[in-house]
Amino acid sequence: MNFDDSITRRETLKRLITISGVVGFYGASGIPFTAFSPAQAKAAPRRFIIEGIGQTEGYSIKELATRVFDAAGGMKHFVSKGDVVAIKPNISWARQPALAATTNPVVLEAVIELCYEAGAKKVRIVDNTINDVRRCFAITGAGTVAKKTNADLVFPSSSLMRRMKINGDRLDVWPVFTPLIEADKLINLPIAKTHSLSSLTLGIKNWIGGVGGRRYALHQDIHRTIVDLAQFFKPTVTLIDGISILVKNGPSGGSPSDVAMKNTLILSDDPVAADAFAARLFGYSPDKIGFISLGDKSGLGTKEFLKLDQKKVIV
Amino acid sequence: MRARQLVWIRRISQTFFLLFFLFLLVESRLPRDVFVDYSVVFSAEPDLAIDYPVGFFFQLDPLVWLSSLISGHQLIKGFWWALVLLAVTLFMGRIFCGFVCPLGTLHHAVSWFRPSLKADAMIRANEKASSQKIKYFLLITVLVGAVLGLNMAGLMDPLSVFFRSLALALFPGAAMGLREFSEVIANSDSTALRLLSYGGEVIAQFLFGFGYKAYTTAWFIGIIFLGIVFLNRIRPRFWCRVLCPLGALLGICSRLSILRLEKDRAKCTDCELCAKSCQGAASPKPGNDWENAECLMCFNCFDSCPASALFFRFRWSSLRLNRGPDMGRRALLAGLVGGISLPLFGRLDGRVHKVADPRLIRPPGALPEKDFLTLCQRCGLCMKACPTNVINPTLTEAGMAGFWTPHLIMTQGYCEYTCTLCGDVCPTGAIRVFSAKEKIETPIVIGSAYIDRGRCLPWSGNGPCIVCEEHCPTSPKAIFFHKDMVPGPNGKQQMAQLPHVDLRKCVGCGICEFKCPVKGRPAIRVISAGESRSLENQILL
Repeated sequence: MNFDDSITRRETLKRLITISGVVGFYGASGIPFTAFSPAQAKAAPRRFIIEGIGQTEGYSIKELATRVFDAAGGMKHFVSKGDVVAIKPNISWARQPALAATTNPVVLEAVIELCYEAGAKKVRIVDNTINDVRRCFAITGAGTVAKKTNADLVFPSSSLMRRMKINGDRLDVWPVFTPLIEADKLINLPIAKTHSLSSLTLGIKNWIGGVGGRRYALHQDIHRTIVDLAQFFKPTVTLIDGISILVKNGPSGGSPSDVAMKNTLILSDDPVAADAFAARLFGYSPDKIGFISLGDKSGLGTKEFLKLDQKKVIV
Repeated sequence: MRARQLVWIRRISQTFFLLFFLFLLVESRLPRDVFVDYSVVFSAEPDLAIDYPVGFFFQLDPLVWLSSLISGHQLIKGFWWALVLLAVTLFMGRIFCGFVCPLGTLHHAVSWFRPSLKADAMIRANEKASSQKIKYFLLITVLVGAVLGLNMAGLMDPLSVFFRSLALALFPGAAMGLREFSEVIANSDSTALRLLSYGGEVIAQFLFGFGYKAYTTAWFIGIIFLGIVFLNRIRPRFWCRVLCPLGALLGICSRLSILRLEKDRAKCTDCELCAKSCQGAASPKPGNDWENAECLMCFNCFDSCPASALFFRFRWSSLRLNRGPDMGRRALLAGLVGGISLPLFGRLDGRVHKVADPRLIRPPGALPEKDFLTLCQRCGLCMKACPTNVINPTLTEAGMAGFWTPHLIMTQGYCEYTCTLCGDVCPTGAIRVFSAKEKIETPIVIGSAYIDRGRCLPWSGNGPCIVCEEHCPTSPKAIFFHKDMVPGPNGKQQMAQLPHVDLRKCVGCGICEFKCPVKGRPAIRVISAGESRSLENQILL
């Protein structure tokens, strides 16, 4: 593949729209292509944030996830009939689910089932993992989930990476994992963990797992590059897995003593607010976390989650 | 049984075993759909394994069994397959060479398809030559060397040669070609070409696994292999008759064979068709003594004889010894000299007794160096199976004695923290079987990391970076930070998180070196010191 032959996001969208034959509609309606994004097209004027907490002993994580989505108007609000949905969990490490280094497989399973119930044509699990992808899929439980729910596992390969125009403050052109771009709807499904450079890794940092290339150089300006990537990807909705979180030794963990049970799910269509809210799980102030402040400043979202349409679900 | 039928049975058997060998070779990797049920995973450390007995052909190989028994005093797992083969050889001669050996099948096919020599030349080429003693020399060198603690069998063993050449050179080469071609046509405007590209990618992934593989010295392994195949143009099955130490071993064992070539001098018309078709140069023609140790049991002579002057028969009645292998005193003496000198010379570089090479990072579970060299077949199975492509054949890192043995190159991959595949697949136990739990809890240390402060971004004042710490798989992490002031690019002091390695926790997995953004020569590197298999190569008390 010729990496110098870069395609901008806008071009990709244009192509997709042309193919699906709706270019005329958008042309007539006067909506410029730049304004087109899944989040903006769907979102109500007032954004929401929903906190789901499992309080009863032996509560069902699946029920919690369903109730959280119901509070936001149901998965139908985000996923339409016939949609191809890409889910971006954080399954970077070949670690057992109990070690909380990767998205909880039960949450993943619940979200995939909800997508299918909402009429999705295909759900794909997409992550450019750090450890060997086969081992990641196998050990984190994502592979079993895919088999159970009939979702697709997307195995990263060089032919699925394409240099694209990020148009960020710091990142101009960068290799992007295309299945994330080519889906109709994109759901960000990270797990909350500590991180020695960015303090925490939550929702918008998860997009580092959506790119390839020399991505370990991004750490040299981590907050700026995270926000650049988050502005590029624009998920339909973010669900932060706070069932069990990694409170030390992050982001890879490795010991059950690094894990704290929080039994929380956070759903929002505002990626910055979701992260700001999730920072509280660790007792961190959102203002102290670079990428949250920066995301707030650059208009990606708001860290003032109190201003959002707030709901709480308890199971 | 008629000759024609025998030849067809041979062909079917050869095809079957060649395909079986290729199948196991393709499957010597972590499959894609090896999913663990997470309800189980919550409670136990899972060990992912390969579904097929990928080491089968090495268990079948008597040379592997014998050399590891003599050298490492170990009975390898599944060794009784080799004993079965030896028992068969005692009764039926080198039937393995003619019916089973996949490398022999390749040579057979190449020699049979468009032979390079015309009739007369071929008959002369198929006369027994003294060069055929070379294989006995090589066998004796290997066995005597094994007594003195160096296992060189794998350098010449046909199954090791074939596996190594295919797994490390031919397959990765073909995969690279296919992938590069796919990527070129992937950008085409023609749908047909794009579909073709997708198909190429699918085939490449199925046959050759993920991504581009790289192996140091692969070019050398590939050229040697092509050379071995080319030798068939000089003499049919040149390798089998002149070079193969396994063939020599089986030839010696065929002394008792009761399946014998019977000749009827009276019927012979001197047409020489048997000599023309004899790929083993075993003197099938009536009038000459049949060289049963050279006979590959291909039944070509039996099939080609128009006068029915040749036939194979079981002779149960007489327990008379067959003609002995013609190895000659020179091959024996040279073999003794080679077998005694090479293991000793090989240790003169001091790597076993004095100081270990810092770059010789053996796979986890590898035995202490001296024991490792008594068992490693250099077959390349661990290198093929390794999911990150970190295990590579050595060139000089392990000295002459360890040529082509496995070592880890951390700029090319890293050792996955919970992966146990190399130990699972190793046919001789040079890398012993270990579990993920054992690997983590013991822990099995393969080396230790150190930081090159001149290159490290925070240390050299070139900005923040925590990539090594982030990837460190141990808990607590073996890489920790100390905050301190360092001079920045403008000479001004600035605060930085400076990474340090805690040698008590580092297992040498090398993910820090592999993921370090300082390319070329990473700012954090792993050396072999600290490896748990060695008592001497240590740093801490």
